[in-house]
Amino acid sequence: MKKLLAVVLCLAMALSLVACSGTPKESVQPTQSAGGDVAPGEVETPAPADSGEPMVYTDLYVSEVTTLNYLIASQQWDQAAAANVIDSLVENDPYGNIIPGLAETWENSEDGLKWTFHLRQGVKWYDYQGNEVAEVTAQDFVDALRYVMTAENESLTYSQTACVKNAEAFYNKEITDFNEVGVKALDTYTVEYTLEQPTPYFLSGLTYTPWFPAYGPLLEELKKDFGTSNDKLYYCGAYILSEYEPQGHHRYIKNVNNWDADKIYIDEIYRMYNAEAGTLGPNMVLRGEIDYSDISTDIVDDWKANNPEYLSKKRLDSMWSYFYCFNFNPTYDAAYKPEDWLKAVNNENFRHSIMSAFDRAYSIRAHEPDDPESIMQSTITPAAFCSDGTTDFAALPVFQDNSDLFFNKDKALEYKTAAMEELSAQGVTFPIQVVITYKSGDSDWENECILVKQHLEGVLGTDYINCELWAGPSENFLSETRRAGKYSFMRCNWGADYIDPQTWTDPFDGKDNLDPDTGICIGNSYNRMDAILYDEAKIAAYPETAATLKAYYDKVNEAKAEVLDMAKRYQLFAEAEDILIEHALVIPYYISPSTYVATKINVFEGQYSPSGVSTNRFKGQKVEDHFITMDEFTQNFEAWQAAMNK
Amino acid sequence: MGLIKHPKLEQIEQDCTRNLKAALGDNEAFSFAQFNEQEVERTGFSDYSYWGSTLRAFCKNKVALFLVFVVLAILCFTFIQPYLPGQFDAFVVNNNPDTGIPLRNQQPDSVHWLGTNSIGQDLWSRLWQGTRTSLLIGIAVAGIEALVGISIGVLWGYVRKLDFVFTELYNILDNIPSTIVLILVSYILKPGVSTIIIAMSLTGWIGMARFIRNQIIIIRDREYNLASRCLGTPVYRIILRNLLPYLVSVVMLRMALSIPAAIGSEVFLTYIGLGLPATIPSLGNLINEGRTLMMSPNLRYQLIYPTIILSIVTISFYVVGNAFSDAADPKNHR
Amino acid sequence: MLKYLAKRLGRSFITLLIILTIVFVLMRQMPIEGYFPNYDKMTKEQIQNGLEIMGMDKPMPVQVLNFLRDLFFKGDLGTSRLYRNNVPVTEVLAPKLPVSIKLGSLALIVALLVGIPMGTLMAKYKGKLFDHIGTGFIVFIQAVPAAVYYLFIQLYGTELLGIKLIFDINDWRSWILPVFSMSLGNIAYYAMWLRRYMVDESNKDYVQLAKIKGVSKNKIMFQHVFRNAFVPMAQYIPTSFLNTVVGSIYIESLYSIPGMGGLLVDVVKKQDNNMVQGIVLVFACVGVVGLIFGDLLMVLLDPRISFASKGGSR
Repeated sequence: MKKLLAVVLCLAMALSLVACSGTPKESVQPTQSAGGDVAPGEVETPAPADSGEPMVYTDLYVSEVTTLNYLIASQQWDQAAAANVIDSLVENDPYGNIIPGLAETWENSEDGLKWTFHLRQGVKWYDYQGNEVAEVTAQDFVDALRYVMTAENESLTYSQTACVKNAEAFYNKEITDFNEVGVKALDTYTVEYTLEQPTPYFLSGLTYTPWFPAYGPLLEELKKDFGTSNDKLYYCGAYILSEYEPQGHHRYIKNVNNWDADKIYIDEIYRMYNAEAGTLGPNMVLRGEIDYSDISTDIVDDWKANNPEYLSKKRLDSMWSYFYCFNFNPTYDAAYKPEDWLKAVNNENFRHSIMSAFDRAYSIRAHEPDDPESIMQSTITPAAFCSDGTTDFAALPVFQDNSDLFFNKDKALEYKTAAMEELSAQGVTFPIQVVITYKSGDSDWENECILVKQHLEGVLGTDYINCELWAGPSENFLSETRRAGKYSFMRCNWGADYIDPQTWTDPFDGKDNLDPDTGICIGNSYNRMDAILYDEAKIAAYPETAATLKAYYDKVNEAKAEVLDMAKRYQLFAEAEDILIEHALVIPYYISPSTYVATKINVFEGQYSPSGVSTNRFKGQKVEDHFITMDEFTQNFEAWQAAMNK
Repeated sequence: MGLIKHPKLEQIEQDCTRNLKAALGDNEAFSFAQFNEQEVERTGFSDYSYWGSTLRAFCKNKVALFLVFVVLAILCFTFIQPYLPGQFDAFVVNNNPDTGIPLRNQQPDSVHWLGTNSIGQDLWSRLWQGTRTSLLIGIAVAGIEALVGISIGVLWGYVRKLDFVFTELYNILDNIPSTIVLILVSYILKPGVSTIIIAMSLTGWIGMARFIRNQIIIIRDREYNLASRCLGTPVYRIILRNLLPYLVSVVMLRMALSIPAAIGSEVFLTYIGLGLPATIPSLGNLINEGRTLMMSPNLRYQLIYPTIILSIVTISFYVVGNAFSDAADPKNHR
Repeated sequence: MLKYLAKRLGRSFITLLIILTIVFVLMRQMPIEGYFPNYDKMTKEQIQNGLEIMGMDKPMPVQVLNFLRDLFFKGDLGTSRLYRNNVPVTEVLAPKLPVSIKLGSLALIVALLVGIPMGTLMAKYKGKLFDHIGTGFIVFIQAVPAAVYYLFIQLYGTELLGIKLIFDINDWRSWILPVFSMSLGNIAYYAMWLRRYMVDESNKDYVQLAKIKGVSKNKIMFQHVFRNAFVPMAQYIPTSFLNTVVGSIYIESLYSIPGMGGLLVDVVKKQDNNMVQGIVLVFACVGVVGLIFGDLLMVLLDPRISFASKGGSR
């Protein structure tokens, strides 16, 4: 009741402040004073951390959350909201290590099948007004998982939990008794997961939202209504979503009773919706209205020249890897000669000619104008993604000799001559049409394709290839392009689901992808290369490719089966990936660029992990009294790297 | 009213008769007129030609005449520009010759007259390429709209039996969100100029048809039309001879405005992400690219030039449309 | 007249049914991927399950009938899917509609209050200074893309007024710029067409006669010319209100006003079928009523126009 009263009082204060907002005030200065200029009518007053006043963080967001129901939501911004209001079993520290969260300790059984977590005691659920509801118990994890695995609830992230024993059977209603599913509350504070097969990377997947707990009785009561607004879920995380106005604003208030409250520095997060945040955000930063904005690549030069004191960067994030795929099963219009492309793409010299002619550093400039090498990758699995304990996966010796496969004009021309000779003999007419597809509306990607086209044609000559840029629709882009096989050479990307090299083989696994009419495998939805292995005629026509592919898939299966010896497992996955690169089946490209931003937060203080939602957590971050500069960013980065290597 | 004579009028009539008789004498005043073919021709003939007079009246408006010239000049220039010496290809990314790095966001200088965009393409040539694309789209869409819109609008407005059908059809088509149609078209057809023309025409003619229908309804029951109808004039003739000429002035204005309107809606389509890809420059995507840079005063040059061209084109069509519409009104043919 | 109205309303209901059915069928031509934001990482069973829950596994006629049955017998428009998951469509629209109506009607009132006197005066002083200034304004508004001058108004207007760049529902001053920006287009539109019609009208014989008879110029202008010229304009007022509400996409996204502008585009792109149908229903109702209302306005203002068919109709 007291709390309610407090809230009412707060609201009254807010209202009275708002009422004052009609009074005139001096014009807003475009410069930022130490405490941050705040227009009247604002409830919050950002202040230096030490002054005892609440620390407030204000920013804009473009994408409104679809739902607060973190058990079903799959979109990044939905999960980001959940990450701040719900705690998970394990968390990450700023260096990517897994640290205790709601679970204080955990152990894995001998056979690797059973994971037992011992929960922190005294963690409570709160409603959106901050009233205590109940204690977080082991049963809440069981109930949450049951909700995820109930098909009627349509959880979009169910497949991430399918590794639990009998999960799939329960989802498909082959078994109806949830007790047979591999999740148990052994007692109030002990939860145990039993898996289908040993999964060495299990812990890293737990920071995804379908593994989060939820208060069972509430799920039972609300069913599909769970999380449709901020009063329809309970909170146990660092923040409580006290105000939620879709297409308006979100206000997160620090959960002072959180078990980790000491590490929650920001007292209030106020996020305002704006569909044009990309255009307005930078200006609002200059006016001191917000504490964070993205600075898009097209205005970076201007900001460097005129507002350098506001400009810094995001932390590099190796969650997404981008790579160029050759399409092995093209279905596009006959006008672009897909038959010739099929022959060409099955010629290793042709693929190598493209790979060698491809100056990746040049085209990456569309995303990272200044330092393209900083995000360029020579493996599909990003550098610093995972290590077998001693060596970073991407730095394993097997990849060492790959450097001469990449951009090299002379070699490209050698490959070109060889390919032209071989392909002409097969009746291919030159130039070969290369359909490069991108998403319309994505200007950076569009620019990248313009650069790629100009460069490839410049190196290899238009007598050899003719790049055709094709803008796919902005909605349903992938099913109209990549998944439909309507491209010949295209940038693709994949995000990690857990920290293990296996996650990077998933996009190329397409044995279940069958043509609905004929029942024949059409290959994975990325480069569709495995389609060749399921078609006798194609195996006969392209024996070389078939052999390479067979070697690759055999190696992947061998690696997947190795679950105990991590060093060996990583070695096998590395060998498999090396086959893709060495035979120019896939061209590694870059990881999500560390884009320019204007921010008052030291980005290196936040939790870090290449998978899961930890990076979205505000816990551990502080709002500085000024915008971070490039120099500070570099210092912070170096300090972070030094700490990480320790 | 005509039957009851005003007393004053009667008196004037009597006075006239008296005066005439006094002046000419009985015989001269009432001699029979002979049929004279030449005389008939003389009174029946007039050197008045509607379109000729319209043109003459239009030419009197020097500003409008000048703007017609401006639009034609812009249109011609967009075709000539690529062949002029010292021009850059609108699609080529210009690299710094020393470093091989694209020349991004170069301010206008002597080499790149309007500077370069965010990947280093020459904005001067993109501007003219874009103007050409946009004018083409505008003219094509306005033409299709006018053709379909006027034909349907006239039938809708004049033929009462069709009013029901067309009104319901209009209600249906007008309420199906054009976004759905546009998005579906974008799945079926490859994005490009013809696609956008088709997509815009698919939904655009409805407004024109309704406009014409309303105009027709206003005049269809006027006395002169009733008279024509009583005399048994066929419907097509009433439409072509009685109704449409009456509407020439408003229709002309509307058509003149629908060209810039089509260009404007291309800007809007680009804004909501359904426009042309940037690989096909158009005023729409040039303005939208520039728009995102508007908050940076130093980069505004990328927004200003396409906006100026768009404004010139719009103003020209507006002024020309108005002038032509004034000129097309026979009352002003003096 | 009443009979005519009743007939038209009856027909409008059938029209509504047809519109909804067409939209329903069109939306279901969209690719499956659009319904599942996580498509790449979903299993076949998951997708099938999702389609079943949406009822999309059934044949199209069954789906249409189910939809119409729910709508007319239960008043159920269903729940949103990708806009606000599982929230009833009516609940999503309820808070947005008033905001847009408020914004739209304010903008329309401003436009009428400024545009009509402006057009009248321009016609009255045709060729004089006021006409030139007015024409200059109209030309400017027509010529510069709204997307551009809206942004300028926002950028400098907020600085001038000393308010925040984006909308704050608690600060009345933040209504000024959006309403002002939104009315500009309509002011130009009304002024331009009113001037055009009035100039056309003042060349007519009855005006000449009135002049000869010595009727005062003001009386001619306001009592005769204006009234006749306003007839064709009147019909547009109801629809232009609707257009203002729907057309506020730029304004609402720039100022983050939580209204309906841009909502339709947004939900069509997100393939939120139920939302699309709900909004189309609202807009179609307003549109159909607006059309009838516009026709009525015309009949009321101009006694020469009639819709009731007389003998000898064609």
